[in-house]
Amino acid sequence: MAEVRLHNITKSFGALTVLPDLNLTVPDGSFTVLVGPSGCGKSTLLRIISGLEEPTSGAVMIGGQDVTLDEPSKRGISMVFQSYALYPHMTVAQNIDFGLRLAKMPAAERQSRVAEAARILALEPYLDRKPAQLSGGQRQRVAIGRSIVRQPKVFLFDEPLSNLDAALRTQMRVELAQLHQSLDATMIYVTHDQVEAMTLADQIVVMNAGRIEQVGAPMELYDRPQTVFVAGFIGSPKMNLIPAASIGQPHARTAGIRPEHLVIDPEGRPARALVVETLGADTIVHADVEAIGPMTIRLAGNNRLRTGDVIRVSPQPGQLHLFDEQGQRLPDPETTTLQRNQP
Amino acid sequence: MTRNILRVTLLLIVASFVLAPMIATILGGFKTNAEIRTNALGLPAMWNTEFYGQIITDPAFWRYLRNSLIISVGSVVLTLIVGAAAAYVFAQIRFFGSRMLFSYILLGLMFPFATAILPLFIKVRDIGLLDTWWAVILPQTAFSLSLAILLFRTFFAQLPKELFEAAYIDGCGYVRFFWRFTLPLSAPILATVGVFVFVQSWNNFLLPLVVLNSREVFTWPLGMMQFRGEYVTQWNLTLAFVTLTIVPAIVFFLAAQKYIVAGLTGGAVKG
Repeated sequence: MAEVRLHNITKSFGALTVLPDLNLTVPDGSFTVLVGPSGCGKSTLLRIISGLEEPTSGAVMIGGQDVTLDEPSKRGISMVFQSYALYPHMTVAQNIDFGLRLAKMPAAERQSRVAEAARILALEPYLDRKPAQLSGGQRQRVAIGRSIVRQPKVFLFDEPLSNLDAALRTQMRVELAQLHQSLDATMIYVTHDQVEAMTLADQIVVMNAGRIEQVGAPMELYDRPQTVFVAGFIGSPKMNLIPAASIGQPHARTAGIRPEHLVIDPEGRPARALVVETLGADTIVHADVEAIGPMTIRLAGNNRLRTGDVIRVSPQPGQLHLFDEQGQRLPDPETTTLQRNQP
Repeated sequence: MTRNILRVTLLLIVASFVLAPMIATILGGFKTNAEIRTNALGLPAMWNTEFYGQIITDPAFWRYLRNSLIISVGSVVLTLIVGAAAAYVFAQIRFFGSRMLFSYILLGLMFPFATAILPLFIKVRDIGLLDTWWAVILPQTAFSLSLAILLFRTFFAQLPKELFEAAYIDGCGYVRFFWRFTLPLSAPILATVGVFVFVQSWNNFLLPLVVLNSREVFTWPLGMMQFRGEYVTQWNLTLAFVTLTIVPAIVFFLAAQKYIVAGLTGGAVKG
């Protein structure tokens, strides 16, 4: 276990600057998720921490030591790749053992570590198989096993569940969460899937165009997004972002309302349902709200709404988020109704 | 149905063009010279094993075979080691001038062997290798390297980058990765290049003719010339000799065959 600190990290590929100037602290023992759209620099940042990529400038500190110029194998890290990157000509046991063998660890110690990893990940029956003979979930577990045996200070995950189907992804997500609890290790996890980010993380780092938009606990980001980007990125369905002037908030540029914070209110604005998605526990209504435009509304239970129905909606008190011209959060507004513009 | 018959007939005709000379060669070893002249393609009137026996019991035949085998295997081993190592560098490491150097090596594909035979002879003579196995092995390897490096580099470049990165994090460097990962995962292309070089070397006539002088180091194509006199050629012995010398090349090809198709088509589509 170790704290990871990034000081003034920049990374350029020729004329293209991917990370302009980045500072980040990953607390010891935390599960930190780097999340953001494709091309935002999250994988590059992970590769810089791992040592697979050198920063153009800045320093990487792991456990208080500057490891910026150290080889990956000397940093006390391990990494799980999206494509698993298992060694196809080696058995599961050899895959897990390979790093230990290179580290010239005594055979007895190696065997005991491989056995322990296989036990934790339920890989014991597959130790003599080659990766091609395993399912996607088993392969991912082997990749994790390869990380565990090295007993690293920091685990790095680069979109490890992206290649799995939805059901397996959910299962592996739970297994990863359990693994973090049992190992109590520092884990840094890259994903573009915000469900993974919300469910796994102690700390989420939202990145956009190489910059950190916000760092915080999942619900902190969800409840109090500091920028328009975070507001739109975190949450599914996405937060409704509308011109603030259209709801009588002229001092702000953009107003945000989460779909579940819009409630049916006889005093609210009329909204015509364009598409109704019935999920059982919830109903998602894509509606055209008068004088505002398209908005998404999440209603509890099955409301038996149909396309073309008109309902009246207004936001719950205290659930309106306002952002200025630069997309930065403004203090919470006092008025919380979808007021019409005053002439 | 009609289309199938047509297709099979066409295939048989094409196959006969390949098979007829081979069958004629094998059968020729059982015939007398007179019969070969009058009945070149048919079955022998009498299956005469004397000529095959004469070849097999001749120590010179085994000596030629041994020389050919040593030279061919030597060329294959050297080409695979040098070619794979060079191609690995071109595939894995970007360095100043790498593309230019690679293009320069590929220029070798444009030069036919025969055009370099005189300078080769002079160079081999100057370094004192005339009349040795190395006089054939080294030039053959040099001429095989262009194609070998091209094929190896293409194959190596298709190995997943993450594989190296995972091994790198495990503490594996470039050299170890080459031996532990690149080579074991490249069996198809190693077999393909190996067969190409082996067959080329096995059948090479011109280079051994120029650089080998004594019968002690003759390869089989040179040894075969002993049956060719000024006035008479012993065709039955020649054909029996050729038939027996083809066997090692066929065995080598069959052993590597299952890898060759994968080697030639590997990377054509994303697997």
